[in-house]
Amino acid sequence: MSIEPMKIFFKEIKEPIETAMIGNYAVAGGVTQTDPDVVCAFPITPQTQSVEGLSDVVHQGRLKAAFVNVESELAAISYSTAACAAGARTFTATASQGYLLMSEALPMAVGWRVPLTMMISARAFNSPNLSIWNSWEYVITDYGWNCIVSENVQETYDAAILSVMISDNSLFPTMFVHDGFIISHSVQKLWLTPDEVVRKLTPRKPRHTITPERPGVWGGIVTPSFFMEGRMNLDVAKKSVLNIMKNSFDEYGKATGRHYNLIETYNLDNSSKTAFITMGSMCGNIISWMTKNKDIGLIKIRAYRPFPYEELQKIVQEHNIEKLIILEKSDALNNLLPPFSTSIATALYPLNTIFRSYIVGLGGRDVTRDEFDITKRKMESVKDMKGQLYTYLGVRETKDKIFEVDR
Amino acid sequence: MLTPEHIKEILNDYTINLRFHARGGQGGVTASNLCVEAFYGYGVCQPKFGAERMGSPTESYVRLSANADLVRSNEQVYGPQFVSVLDPSLLTEVDVTAGIPKGGWLIVNTEMDQLTVQDAVQRKDINIATIDATRIALDVLGRNITNTIILGALIRVSYLFTFEELSDAIMKRFKGEVAGKNIQAIKQAIEETCVYDIGIEPDFTVDSKIPWQQVSLGLPGYKDLDKAGVWYCDEDIIPVGSDQVNTGSWGEWEIIWDEETCTNCTQCWFICPDFATIRKLGDDGKYHMSGIDILHCKACLNCLNICPVQAISKRPKQGPAACALPEEGGGN
Ligand code: SF4
Ligand code: SF4
Repeated sequence: MSIEPMKIFFKEIKEPIETAMIGNYAVAGGVTQTDPDVVCAFPITPQTQSVEGLSDVVHQGRLKAAFVNVESELAAISYSTAACAAGARTFTATASQGYLLMSEALPMAVGWRVPLTMMISARAFNSPNLSIWNSWEYVITDYGWNCIVSENVQETYDAAILSVMISDNSLFPTMFVHDGFIISHSVQKLWLTPDEVVRKLTPRKPRHTITPERPGVWGGIVTPSFFMEGRMNLDVAKKSVLNIMKNSFDEYGKATGRHYNLIETYNLDNSSKTAFITMGSMCGNIISWMTKNKDIGLIKIRAYRPFPYEELQKIVQEHNIEKLIILEKSDALNNLLPPFSTSIATALYPLNTIFRSYIVGLGGRDVTRDEFDITKRKMESVKDMKGQLYTYLGVRETKDKIFEVDR
Repeated sequence: MLTPEHIKEILNDYTINLRFHARGGQGGVTASNLCVEAFYGYGVCQPKFGAERMGSPTESYVRLSANADLVRSNEQVYGPQFVSVLDPSLLTEVDVTAGIPKGGWLIVNTEMDQLTVQDAVQRKDINIATIDATRIALDVLGRNITNTIILGALIRVSYLFTFEELSDAIMKRFKGEVAGKNIQAIKQAIEETCVYDIGIEPDFTVDSKIPWQQVSLGLPGYKDLDKAGVWYCDEDIIPVGSDQVNTGSWGEWEIIWDEETCTNCTQCWFICPDFATIRKLGDDGKYHMSGIDILHCKACLNCLNICPVQAISKRPKQGPAACALPEEGGGN
């Protein structure tokens, strides 16, 4: 049985077309256009339709890829990494517990420098309860994958193509993330890039692969006299990735008219010298709210890994931003700040920017104008970096009281 | 009475929000998708985020505006000015008028007259339109699929898009005869919609979202929770999970437990995913099976399959869930 929204990808897309679909199918379409050789993933809510859509185009014959069914996410990432090392253009996708189950194999795709791509429909991990809804589980671990985060369906579709460009050009695996359900399951209008344009943007490039012509040991054991060199070799190679991302964004922008940046900014020259800083679908909520709140700006992180700290410093300095309101959909039971905020705090260290981090929207709780209004108000009285730097927002303290909100 | 000009003007500076109530399989999500596709400006459609099962109540939302920035928000829809109900049995099962501002519209697929609907939903400050979409569906489409037909009624009262714009969207989505019949049915629906206009328009400039409504006050706060996040069955304090949901309306079978045959082995009690097999403490200090919680039994048949003595049987259920038909091309 074919899935109606995928039909548009069955035929050659000859010119840009506007259509409407959910984020997951849009990704399946974008991935189809990049012509992968291997698709291998294990279905998990809210990622499922991306894999379902790809199985449909493979079944229909449009995509000549090996569609590999596996028994778990650990198998999916292991198979995908190996397939990619063998030279195949490879796509996988996951979320939440699936991402955690992949953990064991996630560092190897980085270590072997394989240009694998992976979609993540961000979803909370299970603790203390199971939730199928959105949190930023992907920020809690970092094994060196590139990571771009999308705000809406158009961006996540474009990210599917951009990730192949970035992976191929950097020879590091790239994950691209959209917020589970909020984007994965919302129908939004988007423009599709013609197949020919995608083909030109994502040519097959010669690279290192496993080959019988040149036998070798991949990932064999090394003694203490070798391991550190391998790690530092990776670190040095990572340094050029942000530039590669930037170039890929530029190239994509020229070809499609849709221009992206590592960091995107809105209304930074505002009277309060304050800006929100966050990523993903919440940026859209803030932009809508900003149509009636013109005295505040927004910094939207599109490239999360590697973290574009120099760009961030430049932006904050150039626009004389004095205060930042960090909104983050993950928390920090042990740390001074949750992971996304930690990256920002580290980048801001040499500057004198004052910030607070607000933990919002965990497990799919909606983030609304209420959160933006109150953080904006709270920030007005914050004058230093003393005390606890993060707080939860939009949480019931008791049955009839919201934590730190006087209604 | 709303006019097309007034709606256009509003859409330049504000969003107009819609909500659709249906049952899984009735195509509520397709209806909301079609709104986005038929609308000339910008629009997004969100299903109510969660697992959807055939026959279970579903909600989907649409946000429309001519201002792209306003529709960029991924916030959920709290104050819909237009609510459409595809299945009349939902009127009493879910709060279909939640968040509708004064002067908003409730559009119902029903044979009932508007006063009966008004009585059922207990709101005198909203406008009501009714359409017997089921009859039109059976007449014109030959099957009980009402999701496109209800949009005819929406056109009649809202002017968000025209019959021609909707026809175009239908033709893009469906092919040949199916498209033609749907368009014919919509046309008929526009003519046959009964409008009960109370003479008040919604104020589109204020969103009726209640501040912090997303935080669901009334449920336990973080200070009230059990250490391990457990919901103990003997305590009635955490009305979350499936306890909140009438999962009993999802399934297609009625599960019957036979006291005579039952040996109280408790296997069905352990295997039920929802504690829908009920046991009671007897005078002997032991638990005994006592029946099936039909409000929550979703007819997964686990208990029936595991019972070693065939004390559990099934029979087809009568009622609304039984009439849910699969959606053309699949929903989400
Ligand atoms: S059919 Fe399933 S849900 Fe219903 S009582 Fe049996 S085990 Fe429980
Ligand atoms: S499994 Fe059958 S015999 Fe055992 S308690 Fe349930 S109904 Fe009774």
